[in-house]
Amino acid sequence: MHLISQTPLLAQLVSDAERLQHQYEFLSYGLTAAWVILAVYLLIMVSRERKLKREIGSLRAILEEKK
Amino acid sequence: MREKILYVLGIAALLILAWNVNAIARLPEETQQGVTFKIIFFHVPMWAAAVTAACTALLASVGFLITKNFRFDALAVAVTEVGLAFTTVGLVTGSIWGREIWGIWWTWDARLTSALVCWLLYAGYLMLRNAIEEPTQRATFAAVFSIFAFLDVPIVVFSIKWWRTQHPQPVFWNGGSFPPDWTTHFLWNMVAMLLLGTVMVAVRLRQEEAQREIDSLRRMAHAL
Repeated sequence: MHLISQTPLLAQLVSDAERLQHQYEFLSYGLTAAWVILAVYLLIMVSRERKLKREIGSLRAILEEKK
Repeated sequence: MREKILYVLGIAALLILAWNVNAIARLPEETQQGVTFKIIFFHVPMWAAAVTAACTALLASVGFLITKNFRFDALAVAVTEVGLAFTTVGLVTGSIWGREIWGIWWTWDARLTSALVCWLLYAGYLMLRNAIEEPTQRATFAAVFSIFAFLDVPIVVFSIKWWRTQHPQPVFWNGGSFPPDWTTHFLWNMVAMLLLGTVMVAVRLRQEEAQREIDSLRRMAHAL
């Protein structure tokens, strides 16, 4: 810390590195949020697809029985 | 065949995105906003996909009201649902960008407010559909509501030109530009998002067809 305060260039480098890390943090939040939302929507779609297929299967079985 | 085309399109979209994320990470920092600026490479294509979905929903709704063909109704609900997912991502990524650049998560300026109203309107469209049982009545009411909801879309798009907003002015409309390699990656992301959206809409359309098959099987089961 003593070394940093006495060396302006080093202090600048540390400050730049911290700023960059902070910005990357927010960039990663943005990208993660984007993909998580789309992934959740895709999972909802997949589960809905399975439910629909199950329902079609059971209705066809009922129709076969009735015939 | 249709399944294979969907898989090919989906894989193409994911490959473009994977390649592009890697390429965008290597781009230099923007002078004023630094690395956070790179959110724009995802935020804007998501909104472009959402606006495309809203325009398609409008055309499909008008198509249903004119022809009474339920394929138009199925297309309208499919694109609206997928468009709502993209709108959600657009709002969330924009909010995260705003927190870093403006220091606030949200502000009630014309662009952000109209975008939120747009999200609420299309969410309302899906709720309206769930509330009506009879298929023809549901499709007709939903089509009229979808046309009404679309009135907000030009306000969202042009609000940054019509009013002074905290949201940045459009880069390209005001004669601005990206460096050429940035534009290339930006456009590839647009293509990837539109491909992804197309695949999601096609899957959702297939589900609507399955739902119609279920309805007709139920009617047959009751008739027997």
